[in-house]
Amino acid sequence: MLNILIVGNGQCGNRILDAINRESFGKKSRFAKYLSQQKYKSNVQTIAINTAVNDLKEMKFTKAKDRIHIPHLHGVGANRNVGKHVFEDNKTHIMRQIEERGDFDVCFVITSASGGTGSSFTPMLIKEMKSKYDYPVYSIVVLPFREEGTLYLQNAAFCLRDIRESGSDGIILADNQFLKQMGGNVESAYNGINDMIARRILFLLDALDSEMMMVTDLGDFKTVMNGGAGLATIGFYEAGADIPVRSAIQKALSPSGLLFSSDVYEEASRAMIIIRGDRERLSIDEISTEVEKLSSAVGHVFKGIIVRDGELPQVLAVLTLESASELENLYSVAVDAIKHERDKKERVSTIKEVDKAFSQIDGMDPSY
Amino acid sequence: MVQPTRLFIISLCMILSCIALAGSASAAVEVYNSSIEMGNGYQINNYVIDVTDVFVSANSASFYVYEQNKEVKNILLNTGDFFEFDFEGRGKVKVTLRTVSSGIIPRAGVSIVLSNYNYQSLYKNDIVNGGHEFATYSGTPELRMSKTIDKSEIGVGDIVRVTVTVENVGDDKAVDVIFQDPQQARFLLYETFVTHSGQTTVDVGESKTLYVYQLKATEAGTYTLSPTTASFSNTAGQKFPLASSNSPVVTVGASEDLVNAELEVTTILDRYAVSRNEDIQGTIRIKNTGDAPATGVTVSVQVPDGMELIGSSDIETISGVPTIYLESFGVQQEREFSFTLKPQEVGTYTLSVQNSYRFNNGVDAQLQQVSSSSVTENIYVSKGKYDYLFEQPIYVYLVPLLIIGLIAGWIYYRHKQYKF
Repeated sequence: MLNILIVGNGQCGNRILDAINRESFGKKSRFAKYLSQQKYKSNVQTIAINTAVNDLKEMKFTKAKDRIHIPHLHGVGANRNVGKHVFEDNKTHIMRQIEERGDFDVCFVITSASGGTGSSFTPMLIKEMKSKYDYPVYSIVVLPFREEGTLYLQNAAFCLRDIRESGSDGIILADNQFLKQMGGNVESAYNGINDMIARRILFLLDALDSEMMMVTDLGDFKTVMNGGAGLATIGFYEAGADIPVRSAIQKALSPSGLLFSSDVYEEASRAMIIIRGDRERLSIDEISTEVEKLSSAVGHVFKGIIVRDGELPQVLAVLTLESASELENLYSVAVDAIKHERDKKERVSTIKEVDKAFSQIDGMDPSY
Repeated sequence: MVQPTRLFIISLCMILSCIALAGSASAAVEVYNSSIEMGNGYQINNYVIDVTDVFVSANSASFYVYEQNKEVKNILLNTGDFFEFDFEGRGKVKVTLRTVSSGIIPRAGVSIVLSNYNYQSLYKNDIVNGGHEFATYSGTPELRMSKTIDKSEIGVGDIVRVTVTVENVGDDKAVDVIFQDPQQARFLLYETFVTHSGQTTVDVGESKTLYVYQLKATEAGTYTLSPTTASFSNTAGQKFPLASSNSPVVTVGASEDLVNAELEVTTILDRYAVSRNEDIQGTIRIKNTGDAPATGVTVSVQVPDGMELIGSSDIETISGVPTIYLESFGVQQEREFSFTLKPQEVGTYTLSVQNSYRFNNGVDAQLQQVSSSSVTENIYVSKGKYDYLFEQPIYVYLVPLLIIGLIAGWIYYRHKQYKF
């Protein structure tokens, strides 16, 4: 049994972590925590870290002892510099919390790249963990909507770079911009994205610790994540009753099945495909055909098959990327945002338009 | 029916008794047999036989017989002769001159025999020196007693004056007179002005006031006052039947001064057929319909076993009995006390209410005490709606409760786990 630590940093990381915990109950009901137990195959420990206490209070399926509040007003206000100072001040407390939970085989740190607490805490946390522990630490980073604002774009750009430089063993990207195709209102879109990410991670955790017909394990996952540019994404598809496993694999690898928009046949470096379902529905020929097709494009593909009686085929693909055109697009937008923020700040500090307005009543008194 | 043998024995006894009585009355008794000096006499009751002359030489003597100084006979007898005279009705006295003898004063030896007379009735039988003029005769005292009242119609609480007098209208002095004036029921001896005690005498023609006192009527009605009686004897020591006074009648009407407190204690229940554990609302209503205030009013409720009384603050529990106590309760005052009865057992019950109070009737010095009790109609208590629940085995409740407790505990535990 694997010992797995999942850390959710900031509001986005907390919500995805809570969604993982909720999904682990196997039921959607809000009373699931009273009616059943979490169905982790591994020994999974979760920790939610936030400076905003309200974000921690919103969590419903994460135990109170696993929610760590770092007191600093009600958040760091999307200011990564403030966030870094807060982490530095509370580093001992945070690391003690992780230390108390024991030793692990792997750790996932979930965060938004654009927010304040998550984007500033995650690189520093990973750095601290890597300096103390020898287990791999992977980050799951959610990229912002492009129209969310210059500060968020700016934060995303610097956060990603910081995480890469922190020593993270891999970054799994999830792009809100790409996932907003799910439609619906803002709340349901966010919840949908969180649920989607949560299901993929749970599938991955399940796959890493399951008896398989064809074996993939944590070692294979490490190898996959070591490939490429250190960036990865996850594709997933759950087939209907009339969809063959081949189509399910294809849809999992298609842009609509990925968390981060990519042409896997062009940009992927290594891949791991895990297929789960009823034995009758898992055609080895179809699976082999699709896997061979992918491996001919990306090189090596790890393949795992989990037999579950009565289940429809589900496909999870972990792909590391050599290049990411969408990421380049993000950075080009981010650069414009950084320049815009810098210019605005300079303009405000030099011109002081408001002072001009006030100067018009210099030397005057009110008359009543 | 009386049997013939027994009837014969009874008749025989009666006949023998009559013969015996007749024999004793007709038997001759010699009351004197000796000599009497000339000039003296011999008295038998109110009769005196004087020996007026003794003629020794002629062996004769003369006798005069007097009844209370009235001469009834005189005769000269020779020795050996006799004479007779009637004595007190049917009696006969036979006087026989037996001897004459000389001396300083001649004497005549006589024999006096009394017949047809009950010797027990003989109260005087002796020599009278000097003859009949010196005899003491006995008479018949007659006491006429009168009991009078100053008014014959009074009200309760009113006073009547009673005067008892006596007058001897007989011919002899009444001696050893003892008067008795019994106490009068329904009257109180209010004040005594003249009284009498001990033995006394009443001379012939004498009139005395024996008693003068006042009686206070305590109850309305018509009453005959008991007569005053007197026992007495005549100077000869003869006892006479009791003399009685008259018995005046006093009519005592209800006085306007007499007042009463009359408490009506009513117990009202809102229903008389209930299920177990259902509440019965009750009210005890106390009203003084009299014309005097009551004091020390106590109303105690005897609650039967199987019922519980939940009283208000006015109903105290004294020695386990719910009790209402009111120090005073005015005329026409009315109060209500509410309580709740909770039947705990199935059955038929009644509620007993006992009350007591005191009042001053304006006449008597001491307070009048009144007690009474009342009982409600039957209260029928049937099984409660959910009583069947209590008839189930204990595990029927324990198991679900245990499960609910475990679920609640689990939910609380999980809630605490996830509460931030």
